[in-house]
Amino acid sequence: MSAWRGAWLRLRALVGKAAVEGELEEEIRFHLERETERNLALGMSPAEARRRARIAFGGVEDTREAHRDARGTRWLEDALADARHAVRVLRRNPALTAAAVLTLALGIGANTAIFSAVNAVILKPLPFPRSDRLVALGEDNAERSWHMQTAAPANMYDWRAQVAAFADVAAYTYPRPAVLTGIGAPRPIQTTPVTGNFFTVLGVAAERGRVLRDAETWSPTGVATVAVISDRLWRDAFSGAADVVGRSVRLDGRDVAIVGVMPARFAFPDEQGDVWLPMGWKPDDRALPSFRRAHYVRPIARLRDRVTLDQASAQLAAVARRLQQVNPVLDRGMDAHLESLHRFLVGDTREPLLLLLGAVVVLLLIACANVGNLLLVQAAGREREAALRLTLGAGRGRLVRQAFTESLVLSLVGAAVGLALGWWGTRVLGALQPRGMLPVSDVPVSWPVVGYVLAVALLCGLLFGTAPALWSARRAPVEALKEESRSNTSRRLRRWSDALAVAEMALAILLTLGAGLLVRSYVLLERTSPGFDPHGVLAVELHAIESRYDSDAKVLGFYRDVEAGVAAVPGAASVAAVSVVPLTGGGWTSDFSVAGEPPPAQARDVAHREVTPGYFRLMRVPLLAGRDFTDADDSSHPPVVLINEALRARYFAGRDPIGMRICFDAHPDSTSEWRTIVGVVGNERAISLAIEPMPEFFAPLAQEGGRAIMTILVRTVGDPLALLPGVRAAVSAVDPELTPRSATTLDDVRSASLAQQRFIMILLLAFAGTGFLLAVIGVYGVMAQLARRRTREMGIRIALGAQAGAVQWLVVRHALALVGVAVAAGVAAGVAGTRLMGALLYGVRPGDPLTFAIVPAALALTALAASWLPARRVSRADPAGTLRAE
Amino acid sequence: MSPTSADVLRGTLDLLVLKTLTLEPMHGWGISQRIEQLSKGAIALNQGSLYPALQRLELKDWVRSEWRTTLNNRRAKYYALTAAGRKALGEEKADWRRYVNLVAAILEAS
Repeated sequence: MSAWRGAWLRLRALVGKAAVEGELEEEIRFHLERETERNLALGMSPAEARRRARIAFGGVEDTREAHRDARGTRWLEDALADARHAVRVLRRNPALTAAAVLTLALGIGANTAIFSAVNAVILKPLPFPRSDRLVALGEDNAERSWHMQTAAPANMYDWRAQVAAFADVAAYTYPRPAVLTGIGAPRPIQTTPVTGNFFTVLGVAAERGRVLRDAETWSPTGVATVAVISDRLWRDAFSGAADVVGRSVRLDGRDVAIVGVMPARFAFPDEQGDVWLPMGWKPDDRALPSFRRAHYVRPIARLRDRVTLDQASAQLAAVARRLQQVNPVLDRGMDAHLESLHRFLVGDTREPLLLLLGAVVVLLLIACANVGNLLLVQAAGREREAALRLTLGAGRGRLVRQAFTESLVLSLVGAAVGLALGWWGTRVLGALQPRGMLPVSDVPVSWPVVGYVLAVALLCGLLFGTAPALWSARRAPVEALKEESRSNTSRRLRRWSDALAVAEMALAILLTLGAGLLVRSYVLLERTSPGFDPHGVLAVELHAIESRYDSDAKVLGFYRDVEAGVAAVPGAASVAAVSVVPLTGGGWTSDFSVAGEPPPAQARDVAHREVTPGYFRLMRVPLLAGRDFTDADDSSHPPVVLINEALRARYFAGRDPIGMRICFDAHPDSTSEWRTIVGVVGNERAISLAIEPMPEFFAPLAQEGGRAIMTILVRTVGDPLALLPGVRAAVSAVDPELTPRSATTLDDVRSASLAQQRFIMILLLAFAGTGFLLAVIGVYGVMAQLARRRTREMGIRIALGAQAGAVQWLVVRHALALVGVAVAAGVAAGVAGTRLMGALLYGVRPGDPLTFAIVPAALALTALAASWLPARRVSRADPAGTLRAE
Repeated sequence: MSPTSADVLRGTLDLLVLKTLTLEPMHGWGISQRIEQLSKGAIALNQGSLYPALQRLELKDWVRSEWRTTLNNRRAKYYALTAAGRKALGEEKADWRRYVNLVAAILEAS
């Protein structure tokens, strides 16, 4: 009760201040009247009675003050008064206030946007119950330089059975395309094959119907017969029908029963998935070597309670070592690795985001230094006011608080504007981000973000408020009031603003060094040849669905017909097909052995692609030796392969590989199929521009039995996309029910491969540019201030015959000293700071000499130019006029 | 020490006010009269200091105030002791006695 009453009294003292004061006045009046009456009764004269009453009461004003103090709201009233005063002061200097708010808003806005992304991607836990217990598993293999690779299903099941730390293990494979029919027009969708316990391991339930069951992983026919669909598919394809559970649909021509609909927020492993299907392995598959040979599932596990990540890691490693002994061939060198599922999903996005967060913090520091200097200059202009207040009895503490209040008000206004700017910034981030970089569809400004911004703003206020506050407190009033000592105090002021200018220049150098390294990386990447000529090539991905193209001959016939049809489209110069377009992540890999040579001592991991004849000519990949594929290389002729230069250099160094025979088994047996190497082609970058070409085999599609999914490439005479309608029509002419899965140009493929680098570079460049500009403005401000304060001295010097040049030199020399210190500090910080970005660089090292030469030089020159302007103005001033003005 | 100059010891004013209010609710002037009366004129209060003290006590919820009319029909703010105030007075009194004894013991020690 008493706490409530105390709060009520305080609130009343604050809000109903006038009423409280009025009551006090009435009490005092009553008291004095009674005392006077008593004195009259004692026989005094009325005047004497009043006088005595006042004496006995003591100072009325003292009582009022003491009463105010006793109300316990003094600090708040002072704070409010300070804030009102601050607002008045800020409104009196609209230009300065606008400059400060804008500077802060830029820094805080950038922080809001980047922190929103960091919060959404890195800080927010996964939307699953007890998601800290979830881990992703993968296979490591030193011989094959694997890390966190997808695992073999048999190994996954052994881990599930043998690692005690795991409550359960499930697995999924990466989404694969399928066509949904039997419900309106054929609809291309993404299916995610999962084990039956996938949903229970994640801990999610279906919105309607049920999730999959563990036993449903297996299917006697080897084909999934049940499915769980996404909320999106349920709404789009089934119009949200209530009776969707139990309905049968056709996926790639096979009947599948829908058993459940997931909640709208469920998206795993990414936003693309529409349907989750059981793996559909046959129960007999478990015994087959292929169940351990092919590594294609991504296991996830839920840890038991109270098991740490380290304990689980150790147990998993022990089990993996045991499996190596049990399966010496298939599990050779095969270790296992686990990491938190969240960390795994965030993956490569983490580093760039943290780098950007670091960059915006540095930018904010620069903004703070800049605003600090602005306020300092302003405080100097008001030194007489401060001195006057000190002389009139204001406490130094109160003056410091006043200065801090001003900077806090400023930073809060800056935060408000910055938050709005940042909200807009998150939209821009969301729109500009390369697809899939931020694994969230939109980046929301949420409560943690607002909290972060408020904390940052308060910190800023303290940071840039410190210099003016301390300065105003250390002022000796007498000194400030005396005109002559101006130069004395201004020296002290100058030391503060010099320090701030040096700090912001050094930080700007650090920021620009980071951006410079990324720009150099990007330019190098941009210049890197992908190994083929992407210009003027249309790429259309097709899927000959298994249900209708159920034999190799049918698939081959389909692609032959499509190629012939597309070749007839006007504007098509040449046509070919490839199983995986380069720069998009590679295809499947395997081991191989060479006829007549002992089995390899080390596992080899080489990539395979299937092409139709003419692929290399179309891509302008050079044939370095031997011959290209021809139409004659079909199933009725001996199998042949081409190898790329990387493979020749790695495995056939100093030998002529042409005519050698290879097979795709590490330990060939009677069933192995031997192929003859007929030629060597140039390297293409398979995974991305930043990753060196890897060894690759190429086989003619006609000898590989046909792959359901192929990309048709068309080299065109004009704009590739202009041919798309013709290509679609040609495909429809072959199969009216088939629509291309995707269509793009190879120029776009190349551009997409650079998208993440470009995105990070542009952001960092924008931040660095802003920081650079702020620092230069800051230096200019300091120099202008210096020049203004020394105008009189300059005037005297010029009047005494000094050359204008010598006077300019005085100012520039000062700037030179500041820039020198800033460059030294900035470069030192850069050497340490850019080391953290090693993983994001391509072709340049963190300490790249060129970047480290250009960036500090550019800032130094710009800063010197900025300081020369005010110096010139001073030296041009009319000496007599300047002297009179003082 | 002359009676008129005897100042109220720092910190004891609250104690005296609480003690005065144990008899009945009073207004500020009444309290000042009662203290002077009880001290037989030995303590001459700086009467104005009563009001901040009352404000302090009210914030601690040791006294409550309300406006009432006096016998000769004038409005005055009356202060009354709360239960918490009564309890606090007991504790403060004990503290005060301990303190006085302590000081006396030190002064008496030869």
